[in-house]
Amino acid sequence: MELYTFENITSRRRVLKNRMMNILIYLTAFLALTPLILIIADAVVQGLPALSLSFLFSTPVPVGYQGGGIAPMIQGSAIMVAIASLISVPIGVTAGIFYSEWPESRISTLSSFSNDVLAEFPTMVIGIFAYATVVLATGTFSALAGGIALGIIMIPIVARTAEESLKAVPNSVKEASLALGIPRWKTVIYVVMNTAKGGLITGIILSIARAAGETAPLILTAGFSNSFVSNLLNPAGSISYLIYYYGISPYSSWHAIAWGAALILIAIMLSLSLTVRLIANVRTGLEVA
Amino acid sequence: MMKEDVISEEKDISLQGKLAKMYVVGLKAGYGKEIILKGMDLAIRDKSITAIMGPSGCGKTTLLRCLNRLHELSPNAFVSGKVLLDGVDIYSKHVDPVSVRRKVGMVFQKPNPFPTMSIFENAVAGLRLMGIKDKEKLNAAAERSLRLAFLWDEVKERLDRPATSLSGGQQQRLCIARALSIEPEVILMDEPCSALDPVATAKIEEAMFALKKQYTIVLVTHNSQQAARVSDYTAFLYMGELIEYGQTKQIFENPSNELTERYVTGKFG
Amino acid sequence: MTRLMDIGLEKLSRLVLDMADLAEKSVISSLQSYLAGKNDTQQLEQWSQELRKIQDEIGELSVEMIARHQPVASDLRFVKACMEIAYGFSRFGRYAYDISEVLELWHGFSRCRQDELREMIGMVTNMIRMSVEALARRDVQLGLQVFELDDKVDILFRKSMEKVSKNPNSIPECDIPLLLVMRYLERIADHAAYIGETVSYVVTGNSSI
Repeated sequence: MELYTFENITSRRRVLKNRMMNILIYLTAFLALTPLILIIADAVVQGLPALSLSFLFSTPVPVGYQGGGIAPMIQGSAIMVAIASLISVPIGVTAGIFYSEWPESRISTLSSFSNDVLAEFPTMVIGIFAYATVVLATGTFSALAGGIALGIIMIPIVARTAEESLKAVPNSVKEASLALGIPRWKTVIYVVMNTAKGGLITGIILSIARAAGETAPLILTAGFSNSFVSNLLNPAGSISYLIYYYGISPYSSWHAIAWGAALILIAIMLSLSLTVRLIANVRTGLEVA
Repeated sequence: MMKEDVISEEKDISLQGKLAKMYVVGLKAGYGKEIILKGMDLAIRDKSITAIMGPSGCGKTTLLRCLNRLHELSPNAFVSGKVLLDGVDIYSKHVDPVSVRRKVGMVFQKPNPFPTMSIFENAVAGLRLMGIKDKEKLNAAAERSLRLAFLWDEVKERLDRPATSLSGGQQQRLCIARALSIEPEVILMDEPCSALDPVATAKIEEAMFALKKQYTIVLVTHNSQQAARVSDYTAFLYMGELIEYGQTKQIFENPSNELTERYVTGKFG
Repeated sequence: MTRLMDIGLEKLSRLVLDMADLAEKSVISSLQSYLAGKNDTQQLEQWSQELRKIQDEIGELSVEMIARHQPVASDLRFVKACMEIAYGFSRFGRYAYDISEVLELWHGFSRCRQDELREMIGMVTNMIRMSVEALARRDVQLGLQVFELDDKVDILFRKSMEKVSKNPNSIPECDIPLLLVMRYLERIADHAAYIGETVSYVVTGNSSI
C-alpha cells in the first residue's frame, strides 16, 4: 500500500473533508454555548450599573428614590436555603446510605424509586403541597413554609448524589475495613462516608444551588417582603422572587434592580459550581498511585 | 478433640515443635449452587508461613476468606464445616465474627489503604475505630506496626501525607502495618505481591520472613516460586480439593502426588 | 506440554548419553586391548580429554538451567543427577587411560595369571553396560542391580589383595600391575554403582536403597 502524500488528489480531498468536519463541530459547540453567553452578557450589561456595595447591604427604597439594595432578599434566600438544608441533608444522606448499603431490601428499592419520582416533580406542585399544608396550617405565608418547600425539592437530589457517592466507594475499601474487625455500621459511618465525603459535599452544594434559584414554590409559600426576616412565621423576600416581582413591574428603576439581582444570583450559582469543581478535583482521593 | 488428632496423623509430615494454630475440618464453601471448596482438612502451623498454591479457580482465595469469616459476607455465599482457631470453632454460634477478624487479619491483592486518610491515620485506623484515642498509644502503635512492615524509615518524616502518595509497594506495606496495628495472631495474605514489581515484592517477602517469628501467616499465591522461596509449609489445591500438603522443601524437591509434581514443574496446560 | 526448560533438559540428556557411550567404549577398549595384548594409550588419552570436555559442558548447561529456569521436583533432581553422573563418566575415561598406562609400563603382562582379572573385567564390563542402560531407560530396578553387584566386585578385590599379600612367592612384575588394574576396576565399579543409584534418585526421589 503506497503512502499517501499530499500531492495525491484523493488525500487532498480527505484532508479538506477533515477540516470541514472540524469547523462544523466547533461551530455546533459554540452554538450550544451561545445562550449561556448571551444571558450572562445581558445580565452583566443590564445589571452591572445597578451593582454597588450598598446594593448588597441596604434595604429597598420606594420607587423614585435613589440607592437602596436587596439585602433583605439575600438574607431571606439564605435563611430559607438554610432551613431547606437542615431538613434535606439529614434525610437525604440517610436515605442515600440506605439505598447504597442495603440495596436488596424491598423498602430500599421502593423508597429509591419514589425518590427518583420526587426528583422529577414539577416544583410548582411541591409549592402547592407546601401551601396546602404549612401555609394553611399556620395561616400565613412564611419563611418556614418556603424553607420546607425548598427542603422537599432538595431531598431527592441530596439522596441521589449521596447514594452515588457512596456507591462509588470501591468495595476494596469496605473489605479492608471489615477485615480489620470493624463492624458493618462503623464501616459505613466512619470509613465509607469518610471516603465519599468529597462526593457528598459536592452533592449537597449542587442541591443548594438548585434550591437557591427556585421561584415558583416560593410564590406559594414564602410570599414576599421588603424587610429583613425577624420571625420565621412571617413572609420573607428572596432574590428569585424579587427578580420576578420587580421584573414585571412598570418601573424602569425596578427593572434595573431586577437585573442587578439576576446578576447576583448568577454569580452565586457560578461560584457554587466552581467550588464543586475544585472540590471534585482536589479531594477526590479515590485515585490510587 | 478426636478429629484434630486424626488430622495430625494424616497430614502431618513433622510437627518439629510447631503446633497448629488453626485447623480446617471438612470445610465446604461456595456461592449458591456452585460448590468451590469440596470438603477440606488442613492444619496451619503456628509462627510459620503456610503457602496455599494452585491454578486459578482452585478455591484458594475462597479458603482464605473462610479463615476470617469474610466469605460469608458475599451474596449467596455458604460455608459448612469447622475452622478451629486455638481450638475454638470460629463458626460456632457463640462466636462474634467481628472478634474473629480482630484475631485474624487480612492483606488483599490490590493495595487498599483508606484513600482519604493519611499514612498515620491508616496505620492506626483499626485502633481508632476500636475507640482508642490516647495519642501516645496511637503514636507508639503506628511506629511499631510500620517498623514491622519495613516501612517506618521510608515514611517517618511524612506521616501526615495522604496514603495515596505512596508507591504501590509502599501502600501494600502500609496495609500490612494497618493489619498489624490491632495485634492479630494470624495474618492472611491474598496474593499480596501480584500487583507489584520484583523489588517491591522482595521487600514484602523480607517483611513476611521477619513477621513469621511472631505471627502465623497464611499466604495465597499463584506464583509457585514465591511459595518455594518464602513458605515453610505448602498446600496444593486443585478444583476445590487439597491434593497435597507438606513441608515446602519436600513439596518442591520430591512431591508425593503426581498432580503436584506436574503443577510445580509447570506441566499444567 | 513442552516447556522452555524441556529444550535444555533434552540437550542435557543427550550430552549425558553421549558421554555414557564414550565412557563405556573407553573402559572396554582399554580392557580388551589388555586381553589382546595390544595397547592404544594415545587414543585413550584423547578420549579421556574429550570426556572431560563433555563433563564441563554438562556442568555449564546445568548451571544455566538452574539460573534461567529454577527447576523443581523431578527436573531439579535430574539436573543435579546429570552433574554428578558426568563426573562419574569422566572418571571412567580417566581410569581407562590409567589402566592402559599401567599396561604400557609392564609389558608382557600376558605371561601372568589372569583368571581373577578376567573375572573382574567381566563383572565390571557388565556393570558399566547395565548402568548406562539403566540411565538411558530410567530403569530403577536395573540401577539397583548394578548397585548390588558392586559388593561382589569389592569382595573380589579384597580377596585378590589378600592373596597377594599372603603369597610368599609373589612375582612383582605380575602382582603390582594386577593390583593396580584391579584397583582402577574397583573404582570404576564404584562409580557405575553410584550412577545406578542416581537413576533411582531421579525417578523416585529416594537415594538410599
